[in-house]
Amino acid sequence: MRPQSPSQDPAVRGTILVMPDLPDIEVLALAKRWVTRDQTVPALEGISLTVAPREFLTVLGPSGCGKSTLLSIIGGLIPPDAGEVRVTGRRSAGPDPRKVAMVFQDPGLFPWRTALENVEFGLELQGVPAARRREIARGLLEPVGLRGFENRYPRELSGGMKQRVAIARALALDSPILLMDEPFGALDEQTRLLMGEWLLGIWAKTRKTVVFVTHSLQEAIMLSQRIVVMTSRPGRIKASFEVALPMPRDLNGPEATALRAALWAEIRDESLRALESGL
Amino acid sequence: MRVLGTRVGLLLLVLGAWELWAGRQDPLLYIPPSKVLPALVRVLRLEAYPTLPEHLWLTLVEVLVAYALAVGVGLGLGFLLGLPRHVGEIYEPILAGLYAIPSVVWYPSLMLFFGLGPASKIAFGFLLGFFPVVLAVLTGIRSVDRQLLTVARALGAGRGTCFVKVILPAMTGTLLAGLRAGLALTVVGVIVGEILGARAGLGYLINYAYGFLRTAEYAALAMVALTLVMAIDGVAALAEGRARRWAG
Repeated sequence: MRPQSPSQDPAVRGTILVMPDLPDIEVLALAKRWVTRDQTVPALEGISLTVAPREFLTVLGPSGCGKSTLLSIIGGLIPPDAGEVRVTGRRSAGPDPRKVAMVFQDPGLFPWRTALENVEFGLELQGVPAARRREIARGLLEPVGLRGFENRYPRELSGGMKQRVAIARALALDSPILLMDEPFGALDEQTRLLMGEWLLGIWAKTRKTVVFVTHSLQEAIMLSQRIVVMTSRPGRIKASFEVALPMPRDLNGPEATALRAALWAEIRDESLRALESGL
Repeated sequence: MRVLGTRVGLLLLVLGAWELWAGRQDPLLYIPPSKVLPALVRVLRLEAYPTLPEHLWLTLVEVLVAYALAVGVGLGLGFLLGLPRHVGEIYEPILAGLYAIPSVVWYPSLMLFFGLGPASKIAFGFLLGFFPVVLAVLTGIRSVDRQLLTVARALGAGRGTCFVKVILPAMTGTLLAGLRAGLALTVVGVIVGEILGARAGLGYLINYAYGFLRTAEYAALAMVALTLVMAIDGVAALAEGRARRWAG
């Protein structure tokens, strides 16, 4: 296991300085196809990708390009047909919440549990004592602006609040890797930008490795250190962009505008193809 | 208060109309409320049917046994068919189809199999109560939001944990409604079974009074049956409320 906060322990920091960082996630020649009654649809083909520790990587692609499938395979929810996924050096077989936490577009809060109890779910499964997990959950809901909402049920929360509870629930696992599948996709533009700012704050504090899937250019430019663009079905990796702009980013500055144009050039044909094939 | 007043008023109105109308009909067939009341008193004082408590007790026992079987088999079969993916989809139309057949058609064969005693009543009560339970389990499992299961798996839940912590709580509402409907139908099944052919039980008494044209006593016994059904449903409603609070 990789130490979670290397800066606290000089000895641990020493080892990290001596040893080059191994990638947190390695995806090798991954392929996946969906078999339906009358046809086989290739979803992913020849995907290879590495993600360094504490990197914020965004996977950008048109809808239906298999980016969600890719994330589900990395998270161990779906087995690949070919190729392999290594998470912190080990071949992944099934979900491993101690290493990987996931957030989805549909927050999937348990409606019979309060916000606090939802955040506690993963800890409950790990056998953390009730008082301790309550404390952890409270500590996570407060900084996301949900103080006073701990005992509300999901139906009493707004879309943005629900997604923040879902993210708090994922953060409660304290895993080094966070996979996010269009987490703000269902939110309105303003809430989306605010949630992006908020996520950057979380990322700066926790220094997690994040793989973020989106189809929003704006979101990708705002958040990422690196952006990979995927082709339309079957999904392949088409291009990769390093984003070295300082935070907080001016989304209307000349660099951001140039990057947006470059991303759009890559993704336009793919979106068009996706549109024409009726996805 | 106003609702209660309206209800009492409506009841008095119906009773009054019944009294006026029945008074002009054949007294052997049409009984006014003023004659039912004394009959009810005679029935409750055990003057008309001294063995009424035994009959009531028998009916209650038949209901309880039939319901226990309906719940046990209904839950067992429901989860057996519903939890493996696709299996429930295969069997549900068959079960729903069987459920749609008027159950009374099965009763003669049940009497042939189980005789005139309590066993055939229990079998019929079971048959009626079983379907709502098993169908509620199948519907309940199918209606569980798949996203909740995906999320639970990502958080580290295995199959067993998913069942206990996601599927069961998510289907509580549907399941409880099915259990309650099953109980109501079990009671109906047992009493109908007794009316159709028995040597004891509340339904038997009702059929007996009716057969001898003791119409006032028949009406009084029907009211006893009504009270029994309402009492059982009241207990069920109480249990359902508790279960819902427990499940959150």
